[in-house]
Amino acid sequence: MFAVHGLWRDAGLYIWAEDSEAARVTTSRAKVRAHPFAVCDLGGVLAELGPEVCGSAAKAAQAELVLSLPSGARGPAASPELGGVIGKPRLSDWRVPALWFPADAALELLERAQPSEEVLLGTGLEYFGVVLGDVIGLLRRGRVLPTLVSEHDGYAARWRPVLAGADAHRFKELAAAMPPVCRADGSRSTHALIDAMASLTDAAVRRSSTVPFPLARGGRARVSFAERWLTALRGGDARVPDGPTAEVDELAAVLRDWFAVAHQAEGEYRLCLWLTEPEEGERWWIDFAVQSSSDLSLLVPAEEIWAGDSGLPGHADDLLLAGLGRAARLFPELDAALREARPTGLELDTEGAYRFLSEAAPLLRAAGFGVRLPAWAGRSSLGLKLTTRSAASSGGAAVASGFGLDDLVDFRWDLAVGDTVIEAEELAELARRKIPLVRLRGTWVELDDRQLAAALKFLKSGDVTGRMAAAQVVQEVVAGGVADLPLLEVDADGRLGDLLSGEAERRLAPLPTPDGFHGVLRPYQERGLAWLDFLGGLGLGAILADDMGLGKTAQALALMLARPEIRPNLVICPMTLVGNWQREAARFAPGLRVHVHHGAERDKDSVPDADLVITTYGTALRDQELLAGTTWARVLCDEAQTIKNSQTRQAKAVRSIPADARIALTGTPVENHLGELWSLMEFASPGLLGTRADFRRRFAVPIERDGDPDAAAALKRATRPFVLRRLKTDKTIISDLPDKMEMNVYCPLTPEQASLYQAVVEDMLARIEASEGIERRGLVLAAMTRLKQACNHPAHLLKDNSRLAGRSGKLTRLEELLAELLDEGDKALVFTQYAEFGTQLQPYLQARLGRPVLWLHGGTRRAEREALVERFSTDPEPSVFLLSLKAAGTGLNLTEANHVIHFDRWWNPAVENQATDRAFRIGQSKNVQVRKFVCTGTLEEKIDTMIERKRALSERIIGTGEEWLTELSTGELREIFELSAAPA
Amino acid sequence: MSPSPRVEGGLKARKSRGSIGERWWSRRFIDVMEEIADSGRLARGRTYARKGQVRDLQILPYKVTSLVQGSRSRPYKVSVTIHPIPEDTWAEIEEALAGQAIFRAKLLAGEMPPEIEELFDDHDTPLFPTTRSDIDFVCSCPDWGDPCKHVAATLYLLAEAFDDDPFLVLAWNGRTRERLLSALRANAPADRPATALFDVTDQPLEDSFETFWTTGVSLTRLREHPDREPGPSGLMLRLLGDQPLRIRGTRLTDLLAPSYETLAEADPA
Repeated sequence: MFAVHGLWRDAGLYIWAEDSEAARVTTSRAKVRAHPFAVCDLGGVLAELGPEVCGSAAKAAQAELVLSLPSGARGPAASPELGGVIGKPRLSDWRVPALWFPADAALELLERAQPSEEVLLGTGLEYFGVVLGDVIGLLRRGRVLPTLVSEHDGYAARWRPVLAGADAHRFKELAAAMPPVCRADGSRSTHALIDAMASLTDAAVRRSSTVPFPLARGGRARVSFAERWLTALRGGDARVPDGPTAEVDELAAVLRDWFAVAHQAEGEYRLCLWLTEPEEGERWWIDFAVQSSSDLSLLVPAEEIWAGDSGLPGHADDLLLAGLGRAARLFPELDAALREARPTGLELDTEGAYRFLSEAAPLLRAAGFGVRLPAWAGRSSLGLKLTTRSAASSGGAAVASGFGLDDLVDFRWDLAVGDTVIEAEELAELARRKIPLVRLRGTWVELDDRQLAAALKFLKSGDVTGRMAAAQVVQEVVAGGVADLPLLEVDADGRLGDLLSGEAERRLAPLPTPDGFHGVLRPYQERGLAWLDFLGGLGLGAILADDMGLGKTAQALALMLARPEIRPNLVICPMTLVGNWQREAARFAPGLRVHVHHGAERDKDSVPDADLVITTYGTALRDQELLAGTTWARVLCDEAQTIKNSQTRQAKAVRSIPADARIALTGTPVENHLGELWSLMEFASPGLLGTRADFRRRFAVPIERDGDPDAAAALKRATRPFVLRRLKTDKTIISDLPDKMEMNVYCPLTPEQASLYQAVVEDMLARIEASEGIERRGLVLAAMTRLKQACNHPAHLLKDNSRLAGRSGKLTRLEELLAELLDEGDKALVFTQYAEFGTQLQPYLQARLGRPVLWLHGGTRRAEREALVERFSTDPEPSVFLLSLKAAGTGLNLTEANHVIHFDRWWNPAVENQATDRAFRIGQSKNVQVRKFVCTGTLEEKIDTMIERKRALSERIIGTGEEWLTELSTGELREIFELSAAPA
Repeated sequence: MSPSPRVEGGLKARKSRGSIGERWWSRRFIDVMEEIADSGRLARGRTYARKGQVRDLQILPYKVTSLVQGSRSRPYKVSVTIHPIPEDTWAEIEEALAGQAIFRAKLLAGEMPPEIEELFDDHDTPLFPTTRSDIDFVCSCPDWGDPCKHVAATLYLLAEAFDDDPFLVLAWNGRTRERLLSALRANAPADRPATALFDVTDQPLEDSFETFWTTGVSLTRLREHPDREPGPSGLMLRLLGDQPLRIRGTRLTDLLAPSYETLAEADPA
């Protein structure tokens, strides 16, 4: 495995990498030693990052860096991605082979590089990916300027970013966040970042400049220096051949002035214009104020500035007036307000207000001025309302059965503003008045010509009432209106209404816990079950997106029992979840015949007769033909975000498997991941949301780029019939949940772990058999420790400081779980009893998760301990607190966390509970989810089962430690230790 | 006439073709000069200004001086003076300027509000000389022309200086930017200095082991910063106003506008 790192210098990106398999130390006595495990064949490593990266790598040049890295005596510490930890490091210099990517190739690399199982991206490299995102943002906002610079081989035409106002603050934030490793070559973060942003800007502008400059044709013999400069702003060659000094000076002076003015334009404080609507009548008002460009809530009204008590640095009145002077260039009507000595605002009539809203405000805002508008501003306001009534309307919502998508319903289209219907005559009157800003029943509404025209045309079209099939209504709602007239409201009755409003879950009669289900469904789970059944009955795909821990698996299993089918169900899940599904099925639905189709031993030619077949995404791709050869009653995708990239072969394979009903289970908040939502919908109800490109144009771009609330509302309306997402914080849910939920998380061993585990069992059992007394007891405890270490991670058992990624089932599951709960905005405590392993885990998790991971252990000093607790409790950012079981035993109050994970086990409920109670104690306002990690088939699972079975006895038998295990006979120990292939 | 020696480091009119004076206030000054002076000499002065024969242009209250390289080896000394504005008149003007925020707003934004000329006229102290008697030229050359081409060249460069900085018009009329603005300011100067924007001090690598491989704030949070609203394309061009440079007769801003339009469509990273 490799970890790839990057740093920026010489107008390009230097890439270097570490090899986890190479020896970590060197015997060299050179003054500056060669880095022992740096990769020499970088091209080969980069090829792993994706085929497109190879093209960029071809443009790179071989180089060598000298890096100052934290080091031991004989070698540098490895990056946390590879799990390197060194006690008491000091700084030493190392020679490192590198590739230098010129800015254009670096741009491609940063865009395209995808980490693979074999190649991880270091945080330093990801950092420059973030920088690139900022650069592209500057580009899109046009905040770049052409410049003339002097480079080592002469003049060059370069595009540079304009970093003023809020962008300057962002620059500072980025510079401060630069990982120290990115300046291990001795550079300064500010310089490196300026160089990176400048050269990435130049490369990015060149890439997107596809239109020629509109130069007049001229047959003149001499081409001026300025023209040569202009030409060099495009294409791959930025060099400008030298010209007459006067021409060079003239151009340089003009561009320098221009660049300076652009930066002066915005300082730390800026002018803010605040439009308020008239309470009555037509007198609008724009208030003047000065606003901090870093803290937008810091707003000082002009009145306070004139009164001399603004509290702002420098001449606040100069700031205000200079801002007004510049803003007047974009909004000349401002001049009228400046006729007095101490202007505080500008009065406008309605037409003036409309001009400000539609023309000046966007310009001013983009120019960096603060603009505040009434909440309704910019919302497209005229739209359609669709009303449907069941043809045989029987009134009440009680008719559960008998609704189908073929049913015909009466429909009517109306024009509406907000939730108010407008009659045709009213609209015609508005159109006659030709004032684009009107007050309609108390609310101001912007009516643009296009919308008015579309509305009048729509009314003339005549198809505003009639009958259509329920299925068509669903499609109309998903389509969301016609051009320029969005669908604003839907009023449907009966079951169709329940479906479209997204309230079916609440309106349907809950399905009681089905026969054969061991356990009792909670009320919200019964409603979820009814909802899954309802959608399945209509032939619609479902996305069950309940928060983590609400029991999506239980609801899915209950559905299989409540509506048994002749055809089998297929569950597709990540490899780490196979054991969990198997065990949950055995626990909740022991009557189901379960078959696991996974692993090298699987039957590749046939699927045996079973009620439930469990397979993995990887196997679904490999055995696509076999699985697609069966028609399934249901196909369920668990952790369905795995197929978020709809173009992958895996996603296509999953979609190709035929089923009567499809259900996607996911715990990630779908509303934050729009591309993912489309992929899930495409799996569940193929084609319904249109093509991915349509989806991007209609929803993803307006919502993610422009924060368009109308597009967000439209998306919600289009998808809410098919998505059920309940939060653990919902009032109706929280009352159904116990305060503390405990569950086991079953993790597989990797082949490497299994063979290490087996070797320890053989070795230790032989030694235990040959010993007795104190010695035997010691050996039993040692054996248990070593087996638990093998379950945790090979690197933990071997203590070789080797890489962490991809070698432990537990760790993989931990990363998945933490990513999911952090995504939900939660905080978690993770306990391990092994401090040395925690020390290796913490930086690794932080690098992988991109969120703070704090680490508290026995060696943590008191002051630091308090600082960690303080930070975890007060910082609103989702984060993870990793704690050693012993250090965290008492005295800590960590009720900010609502998840507790026991990464390894201490078979003593009292100790585990004491740790759990760090989160579950007075002050905890949320439900707490407690997860205990158990490796399937190992001593962890067997001891856990023993304890569960003998719950009543356990206190007495188990006592206070793990001592009781030493009393077991060698035969009993063999049974416990021995790895069992089948589930216990 | 023997050719004038070339001047090293001379001030050269930026425009090599067409007329000097892009903004209304410098245009206005040139117009006045062209009215009151001999047009042939002014034309020669323009050529001089374009060749860069003028150096050391100094704008002082009511007096502008320069050295112009003529046909002799020693440059000629030129001075252009106007009548001083009495201090009590200035006080009245300042009061009038302070009465309307537009003057300060435009001056601070680098513009000269056209109304300012009217305001000076109202106080019988024209901002620009109107008749020959309002202005006095002196040149050490033997030419009897009024003005001579050395004065004319100086006047052209003066107009160009006005182009760049409208405050120089006022400085020539007796008030520097700082003096005028502080007179117009309502409040006493504040003492809190504005903070520098780009200053980031790095911790030494030796003290950064704990965070050596990580970003200061978490990567996710760093990524989460809100994307600022995109504006109309080419806003940078618009905001900066008139840009005098032309290439093959087309303004630089017009040449660049289509490129900015394509930038607005760049894919979000």
